[in-house]
Amino acid sequence: MTWYLICAILAVGLWAVIALPNLIRKIVGLSMMNTAVILFFVYQGSLDSTSPPIVTDGSVDPSLVADPLPQALMLTAIVVGICIVAVALVIAYKLYERFQTLDVRELERMIWKAEPDEPK
Amino acid sequence: MNLSDPVLLIALPLAGSLISLVGKLLKREIVPCIAASVLVALSAVPLTVQAATVFAGSVLSSQLGGWGPPVGIGLRMDALAWIASAMIVGIGSVVLLSSFAGGEYRSRYFFFATILISGMQMVTLTDDIFTMFVGFEIIAIAAYLLIGFDQTDAGLLASLKYLILSTVGVLFFLIGVFLVYRDVGSLSISGIATAVRESGLANSRSIHLAVATLCVGIGVRTAFIPFHTWLPEAHAYAPHPVSALLSGVLIKVSLFAMLRILRTFEATYLNEMLLWIGGLTAIVSVVVALSQSDLKRLLAYHSISQMGYILAAFGAASAASYTGLYAHAVGHGLFKSLLFLAAGEIIHVTGTRNVYEMRPIGRSHPYLATMLIVGALSIAAIPPFVGFVSKQLATGAVGTPAVSYLLWATSVGTVASFVKVGRVALPGQQLASGGASREQGQAQQGSPLHDESFVNDNTSGGDRSTRIAPPSAIAMAILATACIAAGIYGERLAVSLSGILAGGGHDAAVEVEATRHAGADTTSYEPSDLYKGRKLLETLLIAALGAAVYALATSKRGHTITERISAIRPQLGSVLLFFVAGLSLFALFAYV
Repeated sequence: MTWYLICAILAVGLWAVIALPNLIRKIVGLSMMNTAVILFFVYQGSLDSTSPPIVTDGSVDPSLVADPLPQALMLTAIVVGICIVAVALVIAYKLYERFQTLDVRELERMIWKAEPDEPK
Repeated sequence: MNLSDPVLLIALPLAGSLISLVGKLLKREIVPCIAASVLVALSAVPLTVQAATVFAGSVLSSQLGGWGPPVGIGLRMDALAWIASAMIVGIGSVVLLSSFAGGEYRSRYFFFATILISGMQMVTLTDDIFTMFVGFEIIAIAAYLLIGFDQTDAGLLASLKYLILSTVGVLFFLIGVFLVYRDVGSLSISGIATAVRESGLANSRSIHLAVATLCVGIGVRTAFIPFHTWLPEAHAYAPHPVSALLSGVLIKVSLFAMLRILRTFEATYLNEMLLWIGGLTAIVSVVVALSQSDLKRLLAYHSISQMGYILAAFGAASAASYTGLYAHAVGHGLFKSLLFLAAGEIIHVTGTRNVYEMRPIGRSHPYLATMLIVGALSIAAIPPFVGFVSKQLATGAVGTPAVSYLLWATSVGTVASFVKVGRVALPGQQLASGGASREQGQAQQGSPLHDESFVNDNTSGGDRSTRIAPPSAIAMAILATACIAAGIYGERLAVSLSGILAGGGHDAAVEVEATRHAGADTTSYEPSDLYKGRKLLETLLIAALGAAVYALATSKRGHTITERISAIRPQLGSVLLFFVAGLSLFALFAYV
């Protein structure tokens, strides 16, 4: 069941990226997809056990704690995802400042009409 | 310091980026930029030290910080990684050198450019697929910012479109990583290889799906059909040196990563499809390229088309075709970065991006014209330039007749469109009609444009518009020399390349030889046949046909067709639909 839920999040994110013309919504869609992929990993890691893989005193039986590797990997993936979203928002903001619209079809129409002929 | 540690190749450019970041605080920003470029160029030292070991067939590996798998990050360098790495260092330093021209690009630019180079080394050298994902994202962030660096409208939009498409792609890559982790339990490439071999997992459906998603993720970066749609804009509207770096190196680095993954999973069932995708990519994008009037868009489409050759060579899956693949990847890296650098200067000199409106520069800028001609002859595969050798190796090894006809037709198209470009290099005062109208156009919009270049470098005054800056001239000279030298010594290089591929710590080429599919040409291919008469005659025929196609395309009827083709511009919506189509195609193959 959980797998289907995560897949649904992924699908909704993909749908937002593909179908919604608004740039901010597209970026939100990207973020949702990113979350879904992170959930894949973290959920997989928690299948065996959900107790945190933290060593407090002495040793810990590895079979009794959640798999720490996916969590560690996803920490990196979260950071990467945030960077991407930040860059995307900056570029979207720049475009909005210039053209006063976030509709990607409008943007494409306006920018392509003014063919960038000059070098700079 | 241990010079044979591959981590140096990642660390040196990274240190360079740190220097240029700190250098932002200094008054004279050029000093840290030079230091950063020197650090990148210094990577050649560990490369030379490592060359002997790697070519002898052994593998250099290193564990970052002494942490072993599965926790630590492992690096692994074999002969193939060495070739890719050398390409990154070589072309990367030359491109950095050319970025000094004009004085527009300073520490911020060098910061991102060195990070890009470091990320490419990471993707090339890493031994686990999660680090590969991180490397791809490092490359990506640097690339997004570099594409939009000049902050032109088109550049920003291209950057955002690339961002959206490639982030979706890389998320699918991450899903592939997840499937691999779930089913194989290991993320290191060598670990996966042994696990797959021993457990027979290679034929399970979820592994096929994993391979499909991994390929789709990298496919977006590699830009073959149907994932190519972002490339023309991103490469055309990026700053000129960035275009050279992206087109020359980046797409090959992604391709090499994909090949590594396909070999790791022994995914030979994809070969046939890749062969056809390669052929189609080559022919379709060359037709579109022929229709372009924007010089840099034209070159960008040719990049896709040349990637088609490389992919087809991979799909052919024989030892000879692997030689062709690597030869053409390196060759294309050389001449395409030369072409982009020359194109940048030409756009600067003539003040237009439109090929039809450019005035011939042969008389006013003979040096630049020569560089353009060298690049154009190389990509058109005219002997004795490097393109001739590498393209012969790549196409000669494709055994499936239908695909080799496609590639053959592509060569004709390439010649035709570079006749168009090469015309710019002709001597002559003015182009009959286009030149005159351009003069008027310049009179109208010329003045603010020239003012800008006056402001940009006060020292040389308006000289910049007529003279090529020395760094850029030297960079082009290096690339041009490499193109000619690699062409002349092509046979010898090809022989040693196939030697490396056959013996150099890389068993996959031999393996695949056994599983080569039935349609492939089984006669062994001798690189020493290159300069024999038949090939030369064939080239002559291709050149003649190319000129004829050019004449057709510029005739009245041809012109309406090309206008129509070049008016097709993939909108973001259709770009994403292309992506989904490609994803389904790969997934379908996974389940067949």
